[in-house]
Amino acid sequence: MTPRRSVLLHGLRLVVAHPGALLWTYAFNLGIALLFSVRVHAQFSDVLNHSLAAERLNTAFDAGTLVAAIGRVWHDAPSSGSAAYLGLPLYLAVYFLLVPGTLFCYQSGAPAKLRTLLSMGLSFFWRFIRITLLTLVLFAAILGPLFALESAWSRYVDLHATGMTAIYEELPGIVLLMLVAALLRLYCDLVEVYTVERGEDPGLNAAPSGSPDRRIRKALLPALRTLRQNFFRAYGGFLLLALGGLTAVFLTGRVAVHMLAQPRVWPMFLLAQLGVFLLLASRNWQRGAECALVLENPSFARQPLATADPVHHHMVTAPTFAAQPGSVSAQPAYLDAQPDPEPAAPSLLEPDPAVFERELELGEARHGPSGRSDPNDIR
Amino acid sequence: MPRCFVKLIVPMLFVAGAMVWCAPSVGAQTSLAINAPAQTPLSTRVVAYDMDAHVDTEKKTVDATEILTYKNLTGEPLSSFPFHLYLNAFQPNSTFTSETHFGGGIRDSESGDEYPAKKLGSITILHLEADGFGDLTSTLHFLSPDDHNPDDRTVAALSLPRPVPPGESITFRIRFHDQFPESVARNGYKRDFLMGGQWYPKLGVYTHRPGKPQGEWNCHQYHATTEFFSDFGTFRVRLTLPRRFTVGASGVPTGDQTNADGTRTLSFYGEDIHDFAWAASPHFNVTNGTYLSAMGPVQIRVLALTAHPAAGPRYLAILLASMREFEARYGPYPYKILTLIDPEPGSEMGGMEYPTLITGDASLFDPTYALELTAEHEFGHQYWYGMVATNEFEEAWLDEGINSYTEGKVLGAILGKNTSVFNRPWMNLSDTTAQYLEYMQAPNFDPVTRFAWQFRDAQSYGAITYGKSATLLKTLEALIGKDTMDEAMRTYFLRFRFTHPTTEDFLRTIEEVAVRRGRATAVHGAFSTSPTDPSVPLQAATGAGASTLAGLLRPPARPDIVVGSSLRPFFEQAVYGTRMLDYAVDKISSGPAQWWRPAEGQKLFRSTVTLHRLGDFVLPVTVEVVFSDGSRLRERWDGARDENDRWKTFTYMRNAEVVSAEIDPDHGLLLDTNHFNDSRTTIAKPVPARKIANLWLTALQLSSQLVAWLV
Repeated sequence: MTPRRSVLLHGLRLVVAHPGALLWTYAFNLGIALLFSVRVHAQFSDVLNHSLAAERLNTAFDAGTLVAAIGRVWHDAPSSGSAAYLGLPLYLAVYFLLVPGTLFCYQSGAPAKLRTLLSMGLSFFWRFIRITLLTLVLFAAILGPLFALESAWSRYVDLHATGMTAIYEELPGIVLLMLVAALLRLYCDLVEVYTVERGEDPGLNAAPSGSPDRRIRKALLPALRTLRQNFFRAYGGFLLLALGGLTAVFLTGRVAVHMLAQPRVWPMFLLAQLGVFLLLASRNWQRGAECALVLENPSFARQPLATADPVHHHMVTAPTFAAQPGSVSAQPAYLDAQPDPEPAAPSLLEPDPAVFERELELGEARHGPSGRSDPNDIR
Repeated sequence: MPRCFVKLIVPMLFVAGAMVWCAPSVGAQTSLAINAPAQTPLSTRVVAYDMDAHVDTEKKTVDATEILTYKNLTGEPLSSFPFHLYLNAFQPNSTFTSETHFGGGIRDSESGDEYPAKKLGSITILHLEADGFGDLTSTLHFLSPDDHNPDDRTVAALSLPRPVPPGESITFRIRFHDQFPESVARNGYKRDFLMGGQWYPKLGVYTHRPGKPQGEWNCHQYHATTEFFSDFGTFRVRLTLPRRFTVGASGVPTGDQTNADGTRTLSFYGEDIHDFAWAASPHFNVTNGTYLSAMGPVQIRVLALTAHPAAGPRYLAILLASMREFEARYGPYPYKILTLIDPEPGSEMGGMEYPTLITGDASLFDPTYALELTAEHEFGHQYWYGMVATNEFEEAWLDEGINSYTEGKVLGAILGKNTSVFNRPWMNLSDTTAQYLEYMQAPNFDPVTRFAWQFRDAQSYGAITYGKSATLLKTLEALIGKDTMDEAMRTYFLRFRFTHPTTEDFLRTIEEVAVRRGRATAVHGAFSTSPTDPSVPLQAATGAGASTLAGLLRPPARPDIVVGSSLRPFFEQAVYGTRMLDYAVDKISSGPAQWWRPAEGQKLFRSTVTLHRLGDFVLPVTVEVVFSDGSRLRERWDGARDENDRWKTFTYMRNAEVVSAEIDPDHGLLLDTNHFNDSRTTIAKPVPARKIANLWLTALQLSSQLVAWLV
């Protein structure tokens, strides 16, 4: 049995090998935020740039002056804050477009160009919307009761305990809630990865009607099976990366905040952006690790997609067969970002009659009419 | 007898005799609860409460008897007596609950559709009789003087068959039962912590309003935003409860008796106080300290929860520092004890004041000075409420507002002027700024003098009573000078402690001191005599004599007062009115004087500075103009020739261009609602806006990623 590779390292290699996915996501994250910060900056500039009262925010950082400035901006333009919040849904929409392409590139090895990312995002858009709905339903169905239980437990603790005692008693409930949330997120991530995996080849995964199979429920079981069979690897790695990302944000944020009183902005900006980028990188690393896991446990075997045109791919592929979990033969190593040196498997649905005839002729010529091959003949 | 003994004893006797002669009070019997001779009460003691209460800590109930002796010093015969029954406020149909439900409350508010059963509270008078009058229980009837709510039972009055003549006393004997609610508006229980805030039938105050020959009882219902008002007197209270409980209470502890049934009875005695509160918990850690005031030692007793292990020393440190500051600024703390209760987290009982007892507000993680701020604020109430016992129902600004003002000054002195709330190298916040921001929450709905329950809502009450009051007094300080304001505040305290002064008493004291120090002018050019007590000279209550022990113990006096001064327009707008103060530098500009010639080489510039009064509050202001050669110029603008005159332009012909102009360069007019337009510079400084935009940008990015993680 082939020893299993570290999904974390494998996932990291996928992320590093496709830097475009991370960079484009970060660029959109920063760009949209910048876009919706321009007006905020202009409004604060109007209030502060020519006022001596703003000096408390120049060579120091007086929280009272900050709150007064915010109050003044809101007083002058009450809707400015809510307008800026539109950046959230816009980023979400872009994110929906980028994630399928990212997963596709990680799985197929295709370069993470913006065109690839967006085109895949468009073709998977509604499937990811459905997965999001599923995620929300799962979160509500599982986290809702758990949250209610945790609240009840918190109220119970609050009846008799305070201080550190109460924290120690409440902490397990909160941690459990977060762990379950992370587990659900991981599962939904895997559903997304399997959806992309299956959706890569509409010819192969055609619905009974003959149209491309867009049924996300086909990805639910493989995701569950993979999660069950690789639970500690997958979950442990996911948690580790989540913790790493949050720690990076906390540390960089802390250092950045300590620069608030300085009469310059760029060091704080760079540090904050480093934290934001690391958080995003940890998320992409999670995605990469999930793709690595799916590559190890494909829902079906299929053709290499490295050269596929993601926009107009009409590939003739081999017949579908179910992957045998754990079996070496079921692992499509050619899907790895580091291509297998072995040549690609035949790509036709059935033997080309012409080739078949030619081989028959060659066989007869080599071995005689019986067609029996020489056992020592190794091709 | 050896001669050496004679040599020693004779001088000692001489010194002792001299001490007795110089300070006769030293040899007198000192009072039990105050640092003063027993024969010299600090207040006019109108009431004497003697209560014996049994606390059921499981059922959260109190069964008690109360003997109340009332001395009729009103000058009028009295035949009815109203009592506050505050615990009845915690019922769904009470005025308090209705107000908190619809308008919010400053402590808890029931906004749901159902009133929680555990928040039901009540006080029931089981029996009431008066010596010489017999059983009066049947004469009790509920009153709703404020809103005529027939379901409100927070005030009950009894009628006597014959009046109590002036100068006579009446003794009531009352048996009552309390049901404590779970933590609502200063009262009740939280876990196994109990707070008896307003737990006993308390008599109203008979007052005389200016211009009315007849007095009347002042006994308001319990409202969402109101606090309390009562007469000075003595309290002798015995509390019986399980032995495992530690108790803190008003007054000094005078006894601790262990009972056979597993309980113990604790006795307390308070003098020259007007309310009595207590708290009990099995989880208190006691931290003791002593402050030596000019009147004698004061024991500081901090009962902090074991859940807040660091709180005890922090409370003690800030209380010691606060006592020192208050004594230096206003006068000594005369009581022998101050008890601080650290209530259970999540309760509505933190940050509350009672005579000689205050509650703090600690938390496990507190990166700010919130604990210090709360402790100092509540200690300040020992002065502005405890001793200067204003009517908190009708003029809440006189206790909360003045206390917030002194809080800013005292905390600034202790913790730093700009860092008294939050102090880190990378960010700071001062208490004065925090109060200004509170004012800005609702700056112009109500005047500070409005009755507490008549404010627009709880937010306006908080913004005006705390925020605006403190800010306007800070502005007044800038107008008349810090020294004048300090003296006026000290005069006000020493003159009106242990009395019930009004807004006019306070304002006139300020006018008087300001006129005397030349910081204001009397409108009529002369002092007039107080109509209330013309015989008492001004120096009886103020001046150097007040700092001596004899001066400190002298009965409060009604001094000569000023009937009007140049400060009145400010009072009318800031105290009695709702006008908004907002001055702005509209524009500044400079250009070559000979504008038709090439600009190069020209040295003479014509500069203009235009000021604009945006608000309707008219106040003379100073503007400082800075020129490019570094010279500075201060101009004065009276704000308006009339109400329609809203702008003023200053023009200069100088060999330098104007660089900046700033209204109120000393930053004293804190009432201005927009400090950013108070100044204008020609050179832009983009860093502040970029800092905020950067914070916004990062927050937007992180929140985007968080939302993306969720979906």
